[in-house]
Amino acid sequence: MVKAVEPRTAQGNTGLRKGLLFLLAMMVLIPFLFPFLWMLMGSFKEEIDFMAYPPVWVFKPTLENYRNVFVDNDFGTYTVNSTVVAALTTFFGLLFGIPGAYAVARYRRTGFALLILAARMAPGIAFLLPWFVLFVQMKLTNTYFALVTTHLIFTLPIILWMMIGFIEAIPREIEQAAMVDGCTVWGALFKVVLPLTLPGIAASGILSFIFSWNNFLFSVVLAGEATKTLPVAVFSFLGYQAISWGPLSAAASIITLPVIILALIVQKYIVQGLAAGGITG
Amino acid sequence: MAGTLESNSLWDRFLGACDRKASLLMPLPSMIVTALLMIFPLGYLLYMSLHDWLLIGGKSAEFVSLNNFVALWSDGRFRGALNRTGIFIVLGLIIQIPLGLAIAVLFNEHFPARGLMRTLLLLPMVATPVAMALIWVIMLDPNSGVLNYFLSWFGVESIAWLSDVDVVVPALVMVDTWQWTPMVALICLAGLSALPLEPFEAAMIDGANAWQRFWRLTLPMVWPTLLVAILFRFIDLLKVIEHIYVMTRGGPGFASETINVYNFLMGLFYYRVGYGSAISVVIFALVLGASIILIRARRVTW
Repeated sequence: MVKAVEPRTAQGNTGLRKGLLFLLAMMVLIPFLFPFLWMLMGSFKEEIDFMAYPPVWVFKPTLENYRNVFVDNDFGTYTVNSTVVAALTTFFGLLFGIPGAYAVARYRRTGFALLILAARMAPGIAFLLPWFVLFVQMKLTNTYFALVTTHLIFTLPIILWMMIGFIEAIPREIEQAAMVDGCTVWGALFKVVLPLTLPGIAASGILSFIFSWNNFLFSVVLAGEATKTLPVAVFSFLGYQAISWGPLSAAASIITLPVIILALIVQKYIVQGLAAGGITG
Repeated sequence: MAGTLESNSLWDRFLGACDRKASLLMPLPSMIVTALLMIFPLGYLLYMSLHDWLLIGGKSAEFVSLNNFVALWSDGRFRGALNRTGIFIVLGLIIQIPLGLAIAVLFNEHFPARGLMRTLLLLPMVATPVAMALIWVIMLDPNSGVLNYFLSWFGVESIAWLSDVDVVVPALVMVDTWQWTPMVALICLAGLSALPLEPFEAAMIDGANAWQRFWRLTLPMVWPTLLVAILFRFIDLLKVIEHIYVMTRGGPGFASETINVYNFLMGLFYYRVGYGSAISVVIFALVLGASIILIRARRVTW
């Protein structure tokens, strides 16, 4: 019952082959995961453990770093800021993006879609610099408005591109049937298309949230003390104090954890999302 | 009674118009937002690039036509940044594309826990880049960093990763490789898993070994996908900035300053927004040119 085209070398020892492949894959994966391990370990280390050479692997864990981050450094406020900005960006991205995606998918407005792609290719600073100058003149820096507006530059393309795919996957006949039954185009969009694309809305919304949450360059320029987001806050650890690596590791862990959890939910779409936007160099 | 009927029919007419014009109305909000968010600032960027404009100090902008671009042409710091960006692109592509493809080929095989491992491979590219860049700063510390410790096992002496002008660019390429090779791998993996099985089965019957199958079958067939990965990596390396800004701010000196970092510092750190805009325009042109060439290349191979 051996399959006709089993590789000759693998005959009889597929178990060994699989084992070796597994080990090889583990060896490849370790360097990619090690920084996460080091971050998590560091977040429980005391400052003195960081100075040790060779580096310590076993140590008495402390929660002092996390206390420092929330009590001495007000990360609670920054977490709220990051959440508000990411949530508002995602909400407006979906609000503008879904009808836009529907139009591209159903009425072939492809020129519009190409424009969005151009936005993905353009350097982020080309958008940031004019916005910065305008916001300074309008005295709007250090507002949620400035952050949400500029974050939309990269989240709107993600949502549009992903939603186009999801809407195109719905057979037109379903909407047409609804319209024959007296439903308007808008009714078809809200009552037929939206419920059917809920998984897509969730996926593109979560990706948009992640990319807004992760954004540093736009936020470091436009956020002030009152609207400082987490990536900006963690960056300032490098500047102000003599580098306190323990709190820095703890802060990095706190920022990264929600992203990783969200990313696991939408893992199927991450590459697509990064291809459509999200990187703001 | 008549009034309600009247308003009803007006409302109906409005609804009917909305319905008939839906193909125009639906993209309208996102079109207005896109125009405001993206097209308008690009126009304003061009306007700014023609001015001598310092945002601090109260001096107003002065129209200088193309002077900023002329100055840019003979700006040694910009030239240096341009060269360094070229090194970033070349080093990054040479390492990340083959490595990503190799990882994709490996993860396309069948072995236990493959799905979980593929998922874990996603983590470097979704984790908050600033946070991870700072963890890399800790790991690359010349005195107590864990990377130097690992290298000491092999007799390598302590390397000053981020403060040695000769090492800083390769060190930053390494961090970029850590973050974005998974992206290359996962794009290639999608291409590999879509390949038909028949040619491979035929080749195996004909006695082709794994090496021959890779070079004669896998690589040509996955090439269009690989070009997509090259396109994205090329453009993102051309714009590389974030982890450089966080880890070295372009230093020591200007040793790791790429065009985008220079652009950022000039416009948003020194507030020379006119000159900074001119740099942005040049980067935009470079990215556009690169995109067009690479998209052409992709079409030719198809």
